[in-house]
Amino acid sequence: MTAVPGDRALQDDVIRALADAPYRASPEWRSRALADPDRVERYARFLARHFYFERIVHFFKYSRALARVTGRRPEAVLTTSAFDALLPALVLGSRETAVAVADLVVRHVAATGAAIPFLSDLLRYEEAMMVVEAGPRVWRDATPVGVADSRAPSRPETVAGTVLLELAFDLPAVLPRLLEPWTDVPPAPKRPTRLLVARSPHGRVAVATSDAGVAAVVQLADGKRTLEELAQGARLEVGTLQQTLQSLVNLGAVRFSTGS
Amino acid sequence: MRRADLMIGAFYNPHLGAELARAEGIDHLAMADPPAAADPYWPAIRGRYTLLLHDYLGQLSEPLDERSIERARALAELYRSPWVAEHFQCLHTEDGRYNLNYVFPPLYTEEFLERFVRNASILKARLDQPLVMENIPGFFDVKASQMAEPVWLRRFFEATGVGFLLDLPHVWLQAHYHGVEPEQWLAEFPLEHVVELHVAGVADDPDLRGPWIAPAEPSDDMLEFAAHAVSRCPRIKAVTFDAFSPSLTADVLFRSVERMRGAL
Repeated sequence: MTAVPGDRALQDDVIRALADAPYRASPEWRSRALADPDRVERYARFLARHFYFERIVHFFKYSRALARVTGRRPEAVLTTSAFDALLPALVLGSRETAVAVADLVVRHVAATGAAIPFLSDLLRYEEAMMVVEAGPRVWRDATPVGVADSRAPSRPETVAGTVLLELAFDLPAVLPRLLEPWTDVPPAPKRPTRLLVARSPHGRVAVATSDAGVAAVVQLADGKRTLEELAQGARLEVGTLQQTLQSLVNLGAVRFSTGS
Repeated sequence: MRRADLMIGAFYNPHLGAELARAEGIDHLAMADPPAAADPYWPAIRGRYTLLLHDYLGQLSEPLDERSIERARALAELYRSPWVAEHFQCLHTEDGRYNLNYVFPPLYTEEFLERFVRNASILKARLDQPLVMENIPGFFDVKASQMAEPVWLRRFFEATGVGFLLDLPHVWLQAHYHGVEPEQWLAEFPLEHVVELHVAGVADDPDLRGPWIAPAEPSDDMLEFAAHAVSRCPRIKAVTFDAFSPSLTADVLFRSVERMRGAL
């Protein structure tokens, strides 16, 4: 006897078909014959362009502000044959698709002839923001959101997708000015800058300036090391490490798992 | 003749903040997103306009969690919104893996009706303002649906006492893609529950190979359709130009509102 899926499961199947191009092409979906396949395909392509338009406009807003100098609007990639070529493999919201679309944008904007010293750093930053945002998210809390109980035998683990960026320019000093009125492109101070880009389970992307201690914690927190082992590896006092971990948890860069 | 108390407004588009802060002839602004912390025009906007909460609060196929309800309550208070809007949408999977990031209707079935009635009633009870719900168009029919959209909506509104935010271009699109006259299709909807009406432009989309909502001026035909709809909605309080996009220009927004005011 085969169980009949409920309506909510059927709805999820339709949503998946619209979001996931390989699934949409599969015999599994097609055999269900739930909707006109031509209409579904057209609507899925419309959704894909809309989905990535919103993300490109948001995450590449600084490159967008520079478009009158570069002559290259980031969202222009959405009407190129290169984007069309991605459509048969595209999965809305997946990290792989975010990487592919962000790469198109970066290559498009970087091909400008305009001399903007920090453009390469800026594009790496914007690309990281868009890629970090991708992935499944928690839409509603089943249990209250809280931080780890420090009394529990917990082991910190860097959340998958968290990125550490090593930049040649101090981007945070120039980013707000790019969105204000300007005549000449505002300069960015040339000094090494390390940024941490992370995402909360609810999909909020956050950026924080990082130092060597934070970088070490992010690189070493593997869900297996204890706090003491992590403090030793990162060369931090346990008290300092706990403060750092709390900040990283709040950013969405680290979570706690219960050790065995 | 238009009722004197019918408000005519638009959406707050932050990139048009300077123009909206000093505009005349706009009674209200719908808020699709919370104001940015650095938005220099927000204090002026909040000071001079009636603001309508029209954010994404959550999909009511599932109960909203406490965080989402508190967010809705806080935004409604910040805006001093006379009502709170949500959509008849189910756009992400229950496990959070797939998300369309665009309004998408639920299956019109008994199960989904029961889900929306239950969850909207819970939300309504937690708000200090009335709740209104907006109809969402489908580009294709799903064979699992058990009843027509207007029947499903009528049963929802009768069961909950929630208000109806009638998106007229959505009705127009549904009629267009089903080969029905818009006025004929509109007549099926429970218009006695309408509190707010959305009007917008449509434009051909190359992927859809047909019309869809666009940040464009409403056509004369759409305005005529809006006047027809308003005349059949006895409880209507507001008509909103439904365009929220970085590509929307001030000219299009102001001319659309002016033409809506002239047509209604």
